[in-house]
Order: sequence, then C-alpha cells, then structure tokens
Amino acid sequence: MFGISMDSNPANKEYAQKIGVTFPLLSDWKREVVKAYGIYDPTKSDYAMRTTFVIDKDGIIQHIKEGNEAVDPTSAIDACNLLTHKKATQ
Amino acid sequence: MTIRTGFAILIILAAAVYTAAQSAPTQSAAPTKPATPPPAPHTTLKVGDPAPDFNLPSTIVDANSKTVRYKLSDFKGKKNVVLAFYVLAFTGG
Repeated sequence: MFGISMDSNPANKEYAQKIGVTFPLLSDWKREVVKAYGIYDPTKSDYAMRTTFVIDKDGIIQHIKEGNEAVDPTSAIDACNLLTHKKATQ
Repeated sequence: MTIRTGFAILIILAAAVYTAAQSAPTQSAAPTKPATPPPAPHTTLKVGDPAPDFNLPSTIVDANSKTVRYKLSDFKGKKNVVLAFYVLAFTGG
C-alpha cells in the first residue's frame, strides 16, 4: 500500500508523521507518475485526481476507484481480498 | 373636452395602467441554473491495463537515514500493490 501525491518528500514526511500513516507515502514531485496514470488535470492549477488503483502481482490494474469514492478504502480492500483469494485458489 | 369625457379617459388610462401593472413580469429570481462543475478528469487507464512503472522517493528512511525509493516493478511477481493518489498533503484529501 502506497500513498502518492505531488508534494515534496519533506512535506510528505511531515504529513506522514502528523497523521501517523503506517504505509509509505511517495512523492511525485515531477508529476511524472500522475501523468502516466492519466490523473493529472492541467486545466486546474496543478491538480491530480484522487484515485486508488489496485495492481496485482503481474503488474496489471485490477481495480480503479476515482474521486470521492476513492476516499472510502472498502472497495480497494475488497479488491485486495479478491486478489488474495484468487492467489489462494490458484 | 367635457368633464365627463375627460373623466372617462382618466378611468380608461387608470385601467390601462392597472392592467399593465398586473401583467408586468414579476420580479422573479433569475432562473438559477444548477452550477454544473466541469467534468472531473478521469484516469486514462482501465482495469486490465498494465500499471505504468514508477520509481519514487518515499517517507521511509533506511538504517543510514537515507530516503528509500520504491519501484513498482520491484513488486512484480511478489506482491499486489495498492496505489492511493491523494490530492495534496494537508488538504484533508
């Protein structure tokens, strides 16, 4: 599990400490990853859409949640459970 | 013009003014168009697409106080990965 934002890494470190996040936060300072994932919006000033991706072990996207839906991790957790289940049955 | 005629004209005028006032469009509020927000950007990726690789610095530091970088491809064949893109730190996003 990773959190990604366009903040500088020092800002992310401070943020991680403040909210006590248990997973690593990644800094996409150069906006390369938000662009690669197609969620960078140049029409707004420097804005990336809130989105959650679940990627399986083969590097394939298995689940996408966008906008406010992405705030609720339930669906992402469900997708993870599904992947875990898939693994167990394989 | 006799007084009677003048009076009649006055009444007609008054009636006309009254009717005009009645039929005048009332000061209704301008039709409020629901503010349609600009369409939110959507990811160009779809379920089933390969996830673009990345190599980014993280909030994790190693034993030598060096920032740990994570590469998506490092997890290939090992782990499922959840990527949560959030707006910007300190925005509650």
